[in-house]
Amino acid sequence: MSGREGATDGQVVRAVLAGDTERYAELVTRYRDRYARYAARMLGSADEAEDAVQDAFVRAYDQLAQCRDPDKFVGWFFLILRNRCFAERRRSKDVAPLEAAGAVAAPERPEVPVEMAERRRALQHALLELTPEQREVFVLKHVEGLSYGEIAERLGTSVPSLKMRMHRAYDRLREQLRDRAP
Amino acid sequence: MKTLCVALLLAIAGTPLGAQQDVSARLAGRVPPEIAALVHQLAMGAAARGLPIDPLIQKAVEGSAKGVPADRVASALRALTAQLDVANAAIQQAGSNRPDTEAIAAGAFALNAGISAKQVTALALVSRPPYSTAVTLRVASTLAAMGVPAEQTVDLVTQIIALGGPATDVLGLPGQVMAGVSQGQGRGVTPAQAAAGLARAAAARANAPGQNKPKPQHP
Amino acid sequence: MTDFHPQVKQLLDGELTLADLAPELRAEGEEALRLLAAVDREPVTLPGTLGARVLAELRRRAEAPGFWRRLRLRPWTLVPAFAAGAALALLLSPPAPTRAPAAVTVRFVLFAPEAQQVALAGTFNQWDPAATPLVRTGAPGVWTATLTLPAGQHQYAFVVDGARWVADPGAPAVDDGFGRRNSVLSL
Repeated sequence: MSGREGATDGQVVRAVLAGDTERYAELVTRYRDRYARYAARMLGSADEAEDAVQDAFVRAYDQLAQCRDPDKFVGWFFLILRNRCFAERRRSKDVAPLEAAGAVAAPERPEVPVEMAERRRALQHALLELTPEQREVFVLKHVEGLSYGEIAERLGTSVPSLKMRMHRAYDRLREQLRDRAP
Repeated sequence: MKTLCVALLLAIAGTPLGAQQDVSARLAGRVPPEIAALVHQLAMGAAARGLPIDPLIQKAVEGSAKGVPADRVASALRALTAQLDVANAAIQQAGSNRPDTEAIAAGAFALNAGISAKQVTALALVSRPPYSTAVTLRVASTLAAMGVPAEQTVDLVTQIIALGGPATDVLGLPGQVMAGVSQGQGRGVTPAQAAAGLARAAAARANAPGQNKPKPQHP
Repeated sequence: MTDFHPQVKQLLDGELTLADLAPELRAEGEEALRLLAAVDREPVTLPGTLGARVLAELRRRAEAPGFWRRLRLRPWTLVPAFAAGAALALLLSPPAPTRAPAAVTVRFVLFAPEAQQVALAGTFNQWDPAATPLVRTGAPGVWTATLTLPAGQHQYAFVVDGARWVADPGAPAVDDGFGRRNSVLSL
């Protein structure tokens, strides 16, 4: 029942597939925060991120047998989470935008100046107005700090098409932020 | 008097004479005379042994439509009849005295798809309500036709049935394997691997802690 | 014109610095950098109880009736291999989760750019090539036909130019008993 220190992802996945379901919790603990920020910026709040990550772990368990390379569990898990983030935005289009963005500027962080909190909130709201694909490339590059090459590899697409998407995102963000400028 | 006439009509429809007229109607204009004659001959014997004759008619029509020479069609029909007989015997091995014709037809199809007679018996054995033998065998045939090795096919179908879910869970298996293959596209996931993965997961669930799913009752 | 200048986009991408920009673009460049500065990069940590909650959810689902039903019967979407003669059979109305439907609408597609005519023949139409011709779609070389078929197992093949019988390369295949292969469709 106790997790084995230093077990690789592949070992844990195989143990779970062999029937040791309890060990799946080790993977959850290991990776619950890895993409939490990505999910939060994609969905607009940490609460929604928590739901999405939990849901993605459950789905990953269901499909665990189809994880082609158990040692690359986390990359495969990312794709499941990604699908969940994309699907979620499609579902909640009618959520009032201010509500969605409101949770981002956490009042419990007093060290963040009010003006900065406002600007963060405005940008998060603007991000939510982009398409999921545009928002994603922006989040992966400017929040997660990946290079275009790394993003291309992870998403299985090309750098030029990512740049095109990103540049469109820049313009739309500018448009959104101007519209709500005082 | 009316009742007697109706009863008579029903009796005629059930006789070999009635059945033969049915066969003729379906072959008319579609197969050359010598093939039609052979189908009639094989069908009479098949019906007497409790085998379905529809597959024979289908195969004769198919061969003629494809422009296959008559002697080739004839040997295919004889081979099919033999498969129906083997399937019938294999399903009876699982305890059913007079298997329904749908199951036999499905069994013959399974044999054609590469599943052995013993495996047909094994599948028939686990097919207690709500899992029908015909459906189990059809699904297994489809999986085998997709390239899942016969042994793995039997293993997967058996594991799913052991979970005790609704019959549509069995029906959904080819789709699940296809989904596994298409999700693994680019990583070279074969149907066999996708199927093996599904079987392992099913076995794990059946044995997982906290899982006290009742097994289906065997009459 | 609200679009950023291409050089400013390069600035945003990190390929140029503010100093690289032409003087007239400086203001726009600074606006762009202020936008980036508003990005929230704070790490997000999720509750430590998440693992236990995931396991609890898995156990709850395992005990619910029809556990496997939630996997949903997927439409028979075959991965297209766009080589000559590649084909797809797409289910347009996927079966309902709790009961197999009486009939399902299926679209058959064949990529055959050299063909003059294509037909579909199978157990559902007495193998008659004249019964179900395919029609050309907008996409060059792509032929299609849509049928509503009863639930069950069907065998079929395409007939190209009236004479060449071609199994569906994307579908499961069985020996037809005549030295060729038939495709199998399970509904």
